[in-house]
Amino acid sequence: MPKELNKLSVLEAIELLKKGQIKSAELVEACYKQIDAHDSKIKAFLLLTKEQAKEAAVLADKEIKEKGSTAFNSKPLLGIPYACKDNYNTKGIETTAGSKVLKGYIPPYESTVSNKLQEAGAIILGKTNMDAFAHGSSTETSDFFKTTNPWDYTKVPGGSSGGSAAAVAADMCIFATGSETAGSVRGPAAWCGITGLKPTYGRVSRYGLIAMASSTDSPGPLTKTVEDAAYVLEIIAGKDSNDATTAAIPTANYLASLANYDLKGKKLGRPKSYFDIELSKGSRELLQIALDKLKELGAPIVDMDLIDPKYSIAAYTILQRSEVSSNLARLDGIRYGQPRTAFGYEAKKRLMLGAYTLSAGYYDQYYAKAQRVRTLLVEDFKKAFEQVDLIVSPPMPGPAIGLGESEKYPFFGELMDQLAEPSSIAGIPGISVPCGLENGLPIGVQFMGPMFSEAEILGAAYRFQQSTKFHLERPGLK
Amino acid sequence: MGTISKETVSKIAKLVKLDVSGSEEKLVDNFSQTIKYIEILDELDTSKVAATYQVTGSINVFQDAITGTATLTKEQVLQNAPKKERGLVEAEAVFGEERYA
Repeated sequence: MPKELNKLSVLEAIELLKKGQIKSAELVEACYKQIDAHDSKIKAFLLLTKEQAKEAAVLADKEIKEKGSTAFNSKPLLGIPYACKDNYNTKGIETTAGSKVLKGYIPPYESTVSNKLQEAGAIILGKTNMDAFAHGSSTETSDFFKTTNPWDYTKVPGGSSGGSAAAVAADMCIFATGSETAGSVRGPAAWCGITGLKPTYGRVSRYGLIAMASSTDSPGPLTKTVEDAAYVLEIIAGKDSNDATTAAIPTANYLASLANYDLKGKKLGRPKSYFDIELSKGSRELLQIALDKLKELGAPIVDMDLIDPKYSIAAYTILQRSEVSSNLARLDGIRYGQPRTAFGYEAKKRLMLGAYTLSAGYYDQYYAKAQRVRTLLVEDFKKAFEQVDLIVSPPMPGPAIGLGESEKYPFFGELMDQLAEPSSIAGIPGISVPCGLENGLPIGVQFMGPMFSEAEILGAAYRFQQSTKFHLERPGLK
Repeated sequence: MGTISKETVSKIAKLVKLDVSGSEEKLVDNFSQTIKYIEILDELDTSKVAATYQVTGSINVFQDAITGTATLTKEQVLQNAPKKERGLVEAEAVFGEERYA
């Protein structure tokens, strides 16, 4: 029996569209059918754009019929339906960043990422749920509702890109966009059993992405395969005159480079301090199996030292709170949005602590100190990459936790994301791919590399994925 | 250090224009725990280290001077404002109650 259309990967769908064997309208319909059947339990979407998507699909099909497969030369995602995280400004489509402060906000402009996807022919299915303003790692702090994990509805999907990750895992879309400040792509990707790429800071434009911590915000794709991540990255990456922090460094042909990537002789670092934290039994075992597999593929594994992630928790907490405090100051409810009384508790908490760490008398002690620690982390990774090609570690300390459990921790997100925080603070890229199940819940393995080494980490993750097939496992959706 | 008072919490709330009445105790607790935790950074010697405020290495990035690019119309700019008057955004009076006609 052929695969149900909503279960296709981006590359599979494009292949069939090019051959004229399927229509974009059928793809869109299959995704909405899946959403109608399962989203009442998963609650990945805040809003659906059904009419608009169906119209776009008809136009895409017309274009494919007229031009054949050459239509994809200028529009590499023509007719492919995707789910968009709700912190991307989408012109004419309500954008709330999961917060009641922005309830009813209709952006008059388009973010660079969603614009590039639209120009590439991708079709937006709807906006996905997230922790309000991306402040969280479980999607429970959404001001609207909680999203559940498609593998087990009593668990969280991770966050903050939880809606997008759940939508991909439940095959309610072909791919999705996420954004990561420290763990918000890799975390939910790991907990939902999919592929999540956090590009180098400055590789993908932040223009039109509702700001969280501006010095680490990195938009990235959530996909069913590494190949799809490479393909989507190629489309969204690059210099943008609207974001001065985007790099002029040329992008690569990420997808094509996968075929030639060889793990043989690549030295992979295993940071002791990342494995010394409290990891779940399954994580520890599955990571060891993953490392054995990588060794079998020809990559020597080297034990190495990296600064203990516990310091990154502290540095990140200061940086994030401080930048949040500054970024959320603009929400005055005068020009757009609701009054500041609409802020949820989590946002208030972060905003206030940030105002404190930035205030006169405490600035040097907290904010400036954290920025000096950032230098230590940058140097630490530079030194590390003189010794090894890539770093391999768990992305999360264990599998998805139960709904409501996060409330037990004073800074739950920072603890859960501690294995992503050092790389996020330093700006280097990372990717999480599935490496097995622990008690029926997905576990991920992450690859990190030097600045702008996307082709390398994608290559390593691709080789791993090719030889393991964990990414083909899907939740039962009972 | 390592503690934060209820007065400080109220002061910060006022500074960032947020109403936290009823949550002060919870915030005092949370902030005190967080501040206690972040002091772990004192264990790292940064006396000879410069701060990194951004990781791109780019310095003084300027936008090309392009004229005639599309911008938002007045209607688009105002479309989300809850209160408008004569094509302007209406804001609360800041200094006293008097209004200028």
